[in-house]
Amino acid sequence: MFSSLSRRRVLALVVITCLLLITLDKRGNPIIDRARSVFATLLSPLDTSTRAIALPIERAWYGISNYDDLERENQALRDQLQTLRGTDVEARAAILEYRELLRVNQLSSTYTIEPLAAKVVGGAPSNFQNTVEIDVGSNKGVRVGMPVTDGAGLIGRITSVSPEHSIVLLITAPEYAILAQVLSTDEQIAAEQPTSSTSPSGIPVSDLTSSTSTSTTSTTSTTVAGEAQPGSSTTTSSTTSVVANTTTTLLEVVRETGVMEGQGPTRPLLLRFTDSVSSVTGVRVGAFVETAGGNNSLAPAGIPIGRITAVRQQSGNSSAIVEITPNANLSRLFFVNVVLYVPNPDAVGK
Amino acid sequence: MRTVLAGPLTRLLPVGLLALSVQRVVFAQHPLNDVKLQFVLALVVAAGVTCGADRGAVAGFTLGLLYDLSGSTPLGTMALAYGLGGMAAGYVHAFTPDPQWWLASIFAVIGAAVGEATIPLVGVFTGESGWITTDLLVIVPIVAGAAGLLCPLLMPLGRWMMGVKRKKWKAMAE
Repeated sequence: MFSSLSRRRVLALVVITCLLLITLDKRGNPIIDRARSVFATLLSPLDTSTRAIALPIERAWYGISNYDDLERENQALRDQLQTLRGTDVEARAAILEYRELLRVNQLSSTYTIEPLAAKVVGGAPSNFQNTVEIDVGSNKGVRVGMPVTDGAGLIGRITSVSPEHSIVLLITAPEYAILAQVLSTDEQIAAEQPTSSTSPSGIPVSDLTSSTSTSTTSTTSTTVAGEAQPGSSTTTSSTTSVVANTTTTLLEVVRETGVMEGQGPTRPLLLRFTDSVSSVTGVRVGAFVETAGGNNSLAPAGIPIGRITAVRQQSGNSSAIVEITPNANLSRLFFVNVVLYVPNPDAVGK
Repeated sequence: MRTVLAGPLTRLLPVGLLALSVQRVVFAQHPLNDVKLQFVLALVVAAGVTCGADRGAVAGFTLGLLYDLSGSTPLGTMALAYGLGGMAAGYVHAFTPDPQWWLASIFAVIGAAVGEATIPLVGVFTGESGWITTDLLVIVPIVAGAAGLLCPLLMPLGRWMMGVKRKKWKAMAE
């Protein structure tokens, strides 16, 4: 079969065929898409069989080698859960208040879009793909371009869909980009820029400034007193407890919009601003980043992405490099939500 | 008909599917120092060192196509990279027709390094240039080293997959 072809011819044939296939696929070919879908369906039972063989061995190995670590991690997670239960109540109240405000102001929110829960069934087999595979597909209404989140925030977008499975391109992939906005407050900026007399360049979204003060004081005095007897003592117990003394100030929120890009699984995300002044005046380490939304965005506004961990000035350029650490732990994904938001087809592309 | 059934393509496809499944389920889930070892590439270079550059290229092309179909890389990317990897490994036959295990391992390392390093290079031409980073200096040696270690174990499978029988040498009669 091969002896009739010289080595150079084999090489030329392989290279030309591959280049032809790459060109066809990059231009978007329905036959190739269909072939991928059929292949994924064929490979699925084989993967299940291999998993059925590999999983008991894997579990046995982990049981032997990682038992102590797992026990320690379990204890740490229980402690963390206890702490989070307290803050959960507070967070739920804030979310309800937020939804109420959105309703009153007739604004849309990500919470109005129903998410579809999915299980992560596999990772990318190659070192040059930053994807995960989930167990929902077109049969459940999943479409290419839909954003995917986990409990902590955005993790990626759907790039390929078969009837029962979908591939999610993670936000850290170099080919991933999305419109994002930095949320910071005037107070945050002023605290880190005390001598600055210029106002932030961002667009003030809210000019609500109100101050509410709640103070509850309860005083309990217990006096055990009898007639003063010689040699006896009078015990006076006075307990004063201040339950809360909170001052809540709704500050002006400054939003800076830019394009967030991935740089690879081991590197932080990168944010490039459309306005070069933004990164100098309105963006500080610790500020939150979320999706910006808009007609050409791949996700609705308001999905949290992460926090700014570094703002570095570029030499010879007024714009800065802003690095973001994602909220979601992308190396440990088990269950995710597909936000059933269909982005503009022009934004999805191929 | 019998020739076709005994031919390499009828063996390449099932073996390739099985190898791909092992890659996806086992090797992709257990990275070493954040690097996913490449079982399919190891099989390709094993086929290359046992059967020669031409057959290595064909094995790499076929298994690479299966890899592309299972993932989200543009169809032909892995086929090109693995085809070149298989061919590079097969150049061991320019030195000896029946290489010893250690020589086969050395060429498997070279072939795997070529195959793995070609993937981001092809990405540059398809508009995905973000993968060319210093991380390659870690990824390529680990993948190539693992392929070199796996190669002696996978050589019999590679030989059977390509329908090649091991050469038997007889001493010349005096």
